[in-house]
Amino acid sequence: MTALADAEVGTVPDWSPPRPSLVWLTVALSAAGLGVSGYLTAAHYTSPSLLVCSASGAIDCAKVTTSSASRLFGIPVAVLGLVWFVPMLGLSLPAVWRSPDSRVAVARLAWVTAGIGFVVYLIYAELFVVGAICLWCSTVHLAVFLLFVAVLSAGLPQLRR
Amino acid sequence: MAVPVGVVVAVVVALVLVKVAGGGSSTPTAEPDRQPAPAGVVTAVTSVPASVLDTIGAPSGLTPPQRLPKATVLTKDGKPAVVYLGAEFCPYCAAERWPMVVALSRFGTFSGLKITHSSSTDVFANTRTLSFVGSSYSSPYITFDPVEFENNRNGPLEQPDAIQTRVEANFDKPPYSGIDGGIPFIDFGNQWSIGGPSYNVQILQGLSWEEIASQLSDPNQVLAVGVDGTANIISAAICQLTGGQPAAVCGSPGVRVATGRIPGAK
Repeated sequence: MTALADAEVGTVPDWSPPRPSLVWLTVALSAAGLGVSGYLTAAHYTSPSLLVCSASGAIDCAKVTTSSASRLFGIPVAVLGLVWFVPMLGLSLPAVWRSPDSRVAVARLAWVTAGIGFVVYLIYAELFVVGAICLWCSTVHLAVFLLFVAVLSAGLPQLRR
Repeated sequence: MAVPVGVVVAVVVALVLVKVAGGGSSTPTAEPDRQPAPAGVVTAVTSVPASVLDTIGAPSGLTPPQRLPKATVLTKDGKPAVVYLGAEFCPYCAAERWPMVVALSRFGTFSGLKITHSSSTDVFANTRTLSFVGSSYSSPYITFDPVEFENNRNGPLEQPDAIQTRVEANFDKPPYSGIDGGIPFIDFGNQWSIGGPSYNVQILQGLSWEEIASQLSDPNQVLAVGVDGTANIISAAICQLTGGQPAAVCGSPGVRVATGRIPGAK
């Protein structure tokens, strides 16, 4: 059958947004990532009062943010994370998900792909440059990864129409 | 969707496997975790010339102690107590021990000092430092009460005594420390505290114990400014507890300048 014939009988919807649960998941992950990035940014700029280890023997001394890998082109990585999550939160809003404009879907996919690429670099930096894992940073990395999975699972169908 | 997600997962897993297999950042050849401090290092750290300390003073870039809200001076064995809470894995503790030994050596005598390094898998990895484990300190002016909770591999090391436990419970928390139970934490008779490194830990990176010790007597070295300047501040805080004794130390130009950095000091 041709596409015109399909439209005449109304059997193929023009477009349908992703499941509400998936939409709200992306909102929650973006908001959580924004919150943690905000904390890491504050920690980066705070005076030595935060330069302590935990006497209980945490995995790290929570100071990956003071390492040489904590800046990229002079910009603190924590700030870059904050900057990334702001538009990601915007792209995750239900009203934006409902947009039939394919450019929004492309932008969302491109943004989350850039984010996951940066996360892979940061993991490399933690393992091979700093030699320490930052638990708070790993929380952000996980949020970006889950957003990547969510956007791929919800966003690709939009691009196939 | 599976392919791009799979690629990301595969890359991250590969990075972790390479790291676990021993690739990536270099670590120093195996060193004993703790061993007796060489005589030359001990001499250099415990005998920094007064002229050098006076020249350095207390530069503004150093973090001063905070005033604690306690009227009664904490004592132990009949003398004002200086309590130190730390751990050998902690790089900030590694940095702070150098000026502590410089300062405390002006009020008493250490024996049995050790050398070690901070964790090999944390920030500022393998920062060379001294260790108080197994050492003793004697002074006619103060009692020094240190505890190292863990070794540099995050294994259990020492248990706190009753005084250290109370100090940790009462003061080792915000705003006197970055976090609850943060280390390093130094309590000066429950009157002042230092919660964190007083100078830039980066200064010590890549240096051996001998190199660190040898720079302490050169006031032109950035390392000396950080360590000895902090030692002056620590000395000034101790002098507040000892009523200005010994006069040669507490009346020295370097300590007098540092006293101005102690909030509420007389």
